[in-house]
Amino acid sequence: MDTGTVLRNLLTLAWLLPLAGFVAEIYALQLRWSHRLSKAPAQLAVACIGAGFLCSLSALLYWGSQTGWAGFSPADHGHHASEEHHGDEHADEEMPPADALHPSAPEAGEHAAEGESHGHTPAHAPKFYAGTFYKLATFGPLEITLDWYIDSLTLVMFTMVTFIATCIHLFAMGYMKDELTEEYEDHEVHLPGGHHFTRPGRFHRFFAFLSLFCFAMLGLVLAGNIFQVFIFWELVGVCSFLLIGFYVERHSASTAANKAFIMNRVGDFGFLIGLMILITSLGTFRFFDVTEDHVEKTGLFSLVRGNDGKLDVSDDKSVVQSVVYLRDSQGHRLVDGTTPRSISYLLLIAAGLGVFAGSIGKSAQFPLQTWLPDAMEGPTPVSALVHSATMVAAGVYLAGRFYPMFPPEVLLGIAYIGCITLFVAATIAVVATDIKKVLAYSTISQLGYMMLGIGVGGWAAGLFHLVTHAFFKSLMFLCSGSVIAGCHHVQDMRQMGGLRHKMPLTAYTMLVGVIAIAGLAIPGVGNALFGQALAFSGFHSKDAIVASALAFTELNSNQLHRLLFVVPLVTAGITAFYMFRLWFMTFAGQPRDEHVYEHAHENPAIMTLPLVVLSLLAAGCALGGEQGWLYSLLSYSETVPAVERLASERVASIVLPSHHDVHDVHGMAGGLALFAAFAGTATAYLLYCRKVVDPDDIRRQAGGVYDFLVDKWRFDTLYDVAFVRPCLVIGSWCQGFDQKVLDVVLHASAAITVVVSKWERTFDEGMIDGLVNLVGNSTTNFGRSLRVVQTGRLRQYVMWIAVGVVVLFAALFTALPK
Amino acid sequence: MEPVGLNAYLFVGAVLFVCGIVCMAIKRNGIGVLMGVELVLNGANLNFVAFARYTPLGLDGQVIALFVIVLAAAEAAVALAIALNFYNNHLSIDVDRGSELQG
Amino acid sequence: MLSPEYLLTLIVFLPALWSIPLLWFDGKASDAIRYFGLLGTALTFGLTLQLLGQYDLTPAPEQLHEGMQFYFAKEWIPNWNVNFSLGVDGISLPLVLLTGLVSLLAMIASWSIEKHLKGYVILFLILETGMMGVFLSLDFLLFYIFWEVMLLPMYFLIGVWGGPRREYAAIKFFLYTLAGGVLMLIAMLMLYFGSGNSFDLLYLARVGQGLEKSFLLSKEFQITAFLLLFIGFAIKLPSFPFHTWLPDAHVEAPTPISMILAGVLLKMGGYGIIRIAFPICPLGAQYCAYGMVALGVFSIIYGAFAALAQTDFKRLVAYSSVSHMGYVLLGLAVWKVGEKAGDPNLHYWRMGVNAAMFQMIAHGISSTGMFFMVGILYDRVHHRDLNKFGGIAGLMPHYTGLAAGIFFAGLGLPGLCGFIGEIFSVLSCWSFDKTLAIIAASGVILTAGYILWTMQRVYFGPVYKGPHGEALVPLLGREKFVAYVLLAFAIALGVFPNALFQYMDPSIKTLVDNLDASVHPQLIETATTLVQ
Repeated sequence: MDTGTVLRNLLTLAWLLPLAGFVAEIYALQLRWSHRLSKAPAQLAVACIGAGFLCSLSALLYWGSQTGWAGFSPADHGHHASEEHHGDEHADEEMPPADALHPSAPEAGEHAAEGESHGHTPAHAPKFYAGTFYKLATFGPLEITLDWYIDSLTLVMFTMVTFIATCIHLFAMGYMKDELTEEYEDHEVHLPGGHHFTRPGRFHRFFAFLSLFCFAMLGLVLAGNIFQVFIFWELVGVCSFLLIGFYVERHSASTAANKAFIMNRVGDFGFLIGLMILITSLGTFRFFDVTEDHVEKTGLFSLVRGNDGKLDVSDDKSVVQSVVYLRDSQGHRLVDGTTPRSISYLLLIAAGLGVFAGSIGKSAQFPLQTWLPDAMEGPTPVSALVHSATMVAAGVYLAGRFYPMFPPEVLLGIAYIGCITLFVAATIAVVATDIKKVLAYSTISQLGYMMLGIGVGGWAAGLFHLVTHAFFKSLMFLCSGSVIAGCHHVQDMRQMGGLRHKMPLTAYTMLVGVIAIAGLAIPGVGNALFGQALAFSGFHSKDAIVASALAFTELNSNQLHRLLFVVPLVTAGITAFYMFRLWFMTFAGQPRDEHVYEHAHENPAIMTLPLVVLSLLAAGCALGGEQGWLYSLLSYSETVPAVERLASERVASIVLPSHHDVHDVHGMAGGLALFAAFAGTATAYLLYCRKVVDPDDIRRQAGGVYDFLVDKWRFDTLYDVAFVRPCLVIGSWCQGFDQKVLDVVLHASAAITVVVSKWERTFDEGMIDGLVNLVGNSTTNFGRSLRVVQTGRLRQYVMWIAVGVVVLFAALFTALPK
Repeated sequence: MEPVGLNAYLFVGAVLFVCGIVCMAIKRNGIGVLMGVELVLNGANLNFVAFARYTPLGLDGQVIALFVIVLAAAEAAVALAIALNFYNNHLSIDVDRGSELQG
Repeated sequence: MLSPEYLLTLIVFLPALWSIPLLWFDGKASDAIRYFGLLGTALTFGLTLQLLGQYDLTPAPEQLHEGMQFYFAKEWIPNWNVNFSLGVDGISLPLVLLTGLVSLLAMIASWSIEKHLKGYVILFLILETGMMGVFLSLDFLLFYIFWEVMLLPMYFLIGVWGGPRREYAAIKFFLYTLAGGVLMLIAMLMLYFGSGNSFDLLYLARVGQGLEKSFLLSKEFQITAFLLLFIGFAIKLPSFPFHTWLPDAHVEAPTPISMILAGVLLKMGGYGIIRIAFPICPLGAQYCAYGMVALGVFSIIYGAFAALAQTDFKRLVAYSSVSHMGYVLLGLAVWKVGEKAGDPNLHYWRMGVNAAMFQMIAHGISSTGMFFMVGILYDRVHHRDLNKFGGIAGLMPHYTGLAAGIFFAGLGLPGLCGFIGEIFSVLSCWSFDKTLAIIAASGVILTAGYILWTMQRVYFGPVYKGPHGEALVPLLGREKFVAYVLLAFAIALGVFPNALFQYMDPSIKTLVDNLDASVHPQLIETATTLVQ
């Protein structure tokens, strides 16, 4: 078996195991292999996802061994490429043609048989392996398939998702143990009688849904075409729906679940438009090229980017007329008869924005961010797995995966969306008091950072942050879950305080996460060892993003674009502030609510163990920063547009930085970010630990702003007024139209028919029958009037005969001619 | 003196006929009416015979006249029987009393 | 191996023949009648499976008669040139199977019928004959007769076994369909006399496509005939503004009849368009394409909005049918004529027609399931007011799980059947018209909105708010069976749609190519001269 097949088999196994687990777990009670008080379904789920993790890890290691560990080493091709052309603005044009737009691929790839595709000749380590599972449908040249596409990004994502999922499954076994009962009392649901709602526990169902989610998420990562991404995109959405609404009895939970799904669908509406454009203009959904029967079916990336990673844009000055010529994997323009195949530049932008709209929904970006905080209605392990580490990051993953399809204008849009999101969410997080809501807003904000990173050309930086964030955010969510479980389902930070004495393990693992997300570092210490500051993972990844942003602003003269650097910098400070605020309010200081404090307790090992493991990774996964193994692995999959300087003058005048540009400003950006982080941390310390100024005073002073932030910038109100209510109104109009117009027309025509029939009856009875009767009656009357002649007198008759004869004769003689 | 011509016969026949009609019209006695009928028939008979004599019809007229005489006899028998019955019913043969056929 | 004559004829007439012995059954022997009826529908379904088994995916040319397999024709009324001709191709085969399946499941769902059971089963079986006949007949008059045959049992099934306003609903359904039938009759006579006295659908199609040199149908003629046919079929589909019979009929009809109505009867509209209106009047179809797509898109949005406003559970599902059948109309009509025959646009139309056909089958499964699920609740608590439910998830968890699966299929969740039809028809629309495509795509939001909101109101929440809460007992065995069969089909078609496409696509490709060629006559002529 070649490498691709091995990888495919391993990852497919990791992908399908949770599905099998789902089926077994959901029928745990029906099939009688488990019972309501048994942990067996959870153990099965852990076994499935754990085995999935082992498969993914071995796939990663196998891939590493097959590629000579090239992907793990910091000696990064990207840097080399840039450094070689140091100072030469047009250097990138001289890049040797590389296959599938990967910068350091030495020669064009060959395509294996059976529809499998490798980014490369077998002699060298291929950039990616891809192939087809089976066909969903074929309509002439249009093929819709289920594919697989494996590169280092896929492998990292698989390993990360399965690992975090395993940790969270373990944690959930402890967290959800309340459900192991026949009589679960739900304290959030108040029945009219004043008592609480009780129901049988649903332990097995929770793990079934988690397994289903893992299946969908892994399918999304493995997908080899954009349509397949969409399929699993929706499936993770529905799993999220099921998990948010896990407590179906709570109205708030089911409402939040609906909101999450519907807002995601709003994004998917854009995604769908993107798909329509792609299938219509490009005729395929596949990322990669396949050769079947010696006919190359060019994939999306090659069509748009050819073999050199450039857009082949026509020379038209007008934006409307300019087109991008489609090319095959050798870089030759494709022709349809004699005219070259092309896609309008604007349409390409529209397709990019459309697909990105899906990301906006899934990753809770502005303006669709409001569903994520509400999604915290789900159990905390769900928040940790679905709504911080994996599913919401899928939007970023998609933006990264689909990166070669985005022209610079789309990337600019992505950057701005990310920029707005990260600021808006961070400001709300400052005033939130629910421990999970703070984390939710911080998730949105960090996702904004990732989007910004990708948008300003820091492809690897954005995805780097995705992975580090997954570790530290899932850690923090689990910590908050641990707090919630320890405090008997109290989530309001105003009732907490001083909990580090009661639950030290939770407190200090949380502190690791907080430091990681805040981006604190000790400059100078680690330099000797790693060539980088000694810091937890978040520092490195955020640093990379801020550096990309700075490089971007340096290259672009437009002053507005400075925001793309200033805002994240400021927000880095805000982030540090609200995260430390959270930690201080929860774990430091004096207990605010004695009752809560009294009953608080540390959780059993099955819950704390995952915390420790995750905290180690949150601290150390990015060790070495951009020289470390994680960043190297990710950037191994970088494509040409992510590595080289990219410019566009079409719609907006933009220059996206190359690796080299970023490298130049790295030090300065890192310093500024670190300063901001320390400033935020210090403020939080002064306000919430030292109590230099009472935060309540500030709240009173800035009441308007405070209310505005507490109301989440009033987005929910806006959407309610602008969309939800109008929809319901239009719905009732439609209903009314049916009943008041269509049915009335129908009834009116029925009534008219009846009236016409009545007239007809009158006409029949009056006119037609009347005429017939008239004839009969008049005959009778005539006969009756002749009665008087019939006197019965014989003599009279004789006289009449005589007179008649005379008259006859008289008439005869007068009438007849002589 | 001219020989007696057709017109004379016709004239007599017409007189007889008119007398018969008048007799039928004015007589209230049933027997009188029957007499009037006889007069009418005989007036007609006279015409038949006269036409038979003065036109080239041969014996047709006489044959019909004989036929009419026979018919008149039968009719008289029937009519007299009716008159008798009428009398039995009404104790009179005044035809004006027999107006049961009035419409 | 039955010979095609017997197999097809038996599929059509077995149910009706099966109902004859029922006449001698004792009306009180309810179970005997039920089992006998069930056996009849099961045998019919078995025969359709036999048909599937005998159907050849890669037929040799001699097996085909103008694309039809198992074709045969027997003289019926020679004076008028009417034949008894049946045949099956990739377009009708899935629908025949669907009819067999839905009838079988509906018969199982009829177990709760108590009133005049004998009459019910007899009418039910006659109805099945009508439906099978519509899908299999290849003679216009025969088609028309089956179309009307199906109407009467339906009238009685709604009017006798229905809910409180059954008479109103039945007469509304009857009159609507009859009006459509009359329009179809006019068109049929137009075509009969326009084609030199033929009712043969295949021959008429050749005439319409300009392949018979002796008779040519002018464009104006075709447009008129097409409009008549289209309105007739659009009533059945139903498309806005001819849809108002549907909510009433669905709401009043008993559950099994709702299942048949949604599962099979609505498909006759789409089938009629693709089997009769399109092939016979390609110029008319081409002329009306934009209007049809617009109507389809409007129906999608309109149905979804109207569904949002409903408080009656069944009415909501009925409006969802209006919305979902809009995708059928949309997919069928995305026919944009390229500058030359065989233009790339054609692939998207082919995709659209495939999607429309798939959507018909998928809707046949998901909508049948949804009505069945509503019926299960109605059987227990005897009301359908959405605001008086809640808490069903706690009381009937197994049922809720199955219902969620089926409702998600209706919502168009990937991996379930509804997704494929919806998404492909929307995707195919972009090359036809961008604005309409965007509007159609926005339907995904509304669909999610009304289905999730309904699920929240009915299944979620702590307590059941309506009357007869004590009657909410877990699913019975036969209910589970029906639900699982439907869910299994929903998943199977959603995961392996090609299993269905491989039957439909060859026939649809032929159809699409022929129709496109028929509107490019000048190009065909040049091509022929070149060949000569």
